Amino acid sequence: MIKRELYQDVIFETIHKGATVISKDVKAAFERSIASETSDSAREGLIQTLKSIETSVQKDNPACPDTGWPIFYFKVGNECVLEDGFMGLEESTRDAVRKATKLGYLRATMKHPLTGRGPSDNIGMNIPNFTYQFIPGKNIEISYVAKGGGSECFGGTRHRVLAFADGIPGIEKFIIDCYVASTRAGAVCPPSILGIGIGGTANVAANLAKEAACLRTIGSAHPDPLIHKIEIDLYEALNSLGIGAMGSGGKVSVHGVNIEYAYTHIAGIAVATSTNCMVARRATSRINSDSSVEILDSPNWFEGR
Amino acid sequence: MAIHYLNIPLKDQDVESLNIGDLVYISGPFFTCRSLLQHYIFDDAHDLPFSTRKENCLIHVGPIVVKENDKWRLVSFMPTSSIRFEKWGARSVETWGLKMIVGKTTMGEKTTAMMVEKKCVHVSPQSVSPNLWIDHIKIKDVYLFDELGTIEAAWQMEADKLGPFIVDIDTKGKNLFDRLDITIAANKEKAYAMLNIPKDFEYTKLY
Repeated sequence: MIKRELYQDVIFETIHKGATVISKDVKAAFERSIASETSDSAREGLIQTLKSIETSVQKDNPACPDTGWPIFYFKVGNECVLEDGFMGLEESTRDAVRKATKLGYLRATMKHPLTGRGPSDNIGMNIPNFTYQFIPGKNIEISYVAKGGGSECFGGTRHRVLAFADGIPGIEKFIIDCYVASTRAGAVCPPSILGIGIGGTANVAANLAKEAACLRTIGSAHPDPLIHKIEIDLYEALNSLGIGAMGSGGKVSVHGVNIEYAYTHIAGIAVATSTNCMVARRATSRINSDSSVEILDSPNWFEGR
Repeated sequence: MAIHYLNIPLKDQDVESLNIGDLVYISGPFFTCRSLLQHYIFDDAHDLPFSTRKENCLIHVGPIVVKENDKWRLVSFMPTSSIRFEKWGARSVETWGLKMIVGKTTMGEKTTAMMVEKKCVHVSPQSVSPNLWIDHIKIKDVYLFDELGTIEAAWQMEADKLGPFIVDIDTKGKNLFDRLDITIAANKEKAYAMLNIPKDFEYTKLY
């Protein structure tokens, strides 16, 4: 049995790391973009951002004050046993979010949607949000995502339903149009990681898009060659738009394009997008059944899909 | 592309010399604002409890600030998107006598018109560099903390060569992003061609 004290500590440390330490694949994307950017001002923007990311580790500060929506993904072994069960897991997660907010690792951003008020601890109706996936085994993997407001509010998250007749051109046109609109004036903090969900009901497509943006590493390839070809084609097309860092013009417009799909009703294809900020923040830890803890570079969320 | 080092309070001639695409660094006193503050002042008819005459620079930001040993410590600072404050933009420029607004994105038509009339510019960051910027900012005071909370309160802060920010709306009303829109719209047509999307493509009308 995995003790509550252990998983509560691991959840807090996962939040702490997610807010303050940028993942290796995200940093590598910055290094590649700095090398290839031809606009002096956009390159300088990328250099300053990378420097700030590196400084956040030294200062033990958030990489960006907009720590956004606290979102948790649990990949749970079918035989995993937690002290106090899954209700204990969720309660401990809320406690860890409260603690991280009090210590200044998270900004108290979550408020009532109509009054704009709240207890300033990032806890409220349906927040934090939890998603579960069940796999064979006895371990639990905990991924924390800080989903920033810029990338979420200003057009980065969209969906529409296309006719089957509209096919790949319809999907790709929708993606290009959405990305241009949402990156205008740097609204979603480009170069973003663009997640795309295709198929399923609209909510399934939206969830897949969010998970593709936040839980796949930059440069990872979808195993289906048809889907991966669309990832590559869109990556190249989006990087020809001239959007640049924070939308001020430049060669590098997107850091990654990740697509996930679900089977769908042949009557219509739901397509959803979700952008993640250039300063993409996430962290993943695994607690094994023997209570050993590992820090993972990738959330492995889609492994075995 | 010119680089300007400006001191607050800003004078008309300081901001009139700026053109879209120029970079600015600012020094001197400024204050912070987000939606709840503008809602409290303009919709609920309260007065801002301090004069903005000498701190005529507003930064749209919700900082992370913690109290340690009875002192405020600035943990993180990144300008937030200005466009969502468009509802109150023109009144903010007029009432508070603003000469500069710092924020991500840009402002809309009504605020721009008032900025031209009152001689005010909007500048935006080209990076996400909170951990560099906090070394260039000191907290002076905070107002409306109890009413609005940490991130929505009106913080008075002091900048020391804070930047660079790019001028995206100048006092003539030109907008950097409107100009970029033209380039990006042309590139969009090329991107469709790269993806073999037919020029006459139309979506099937499902509803």
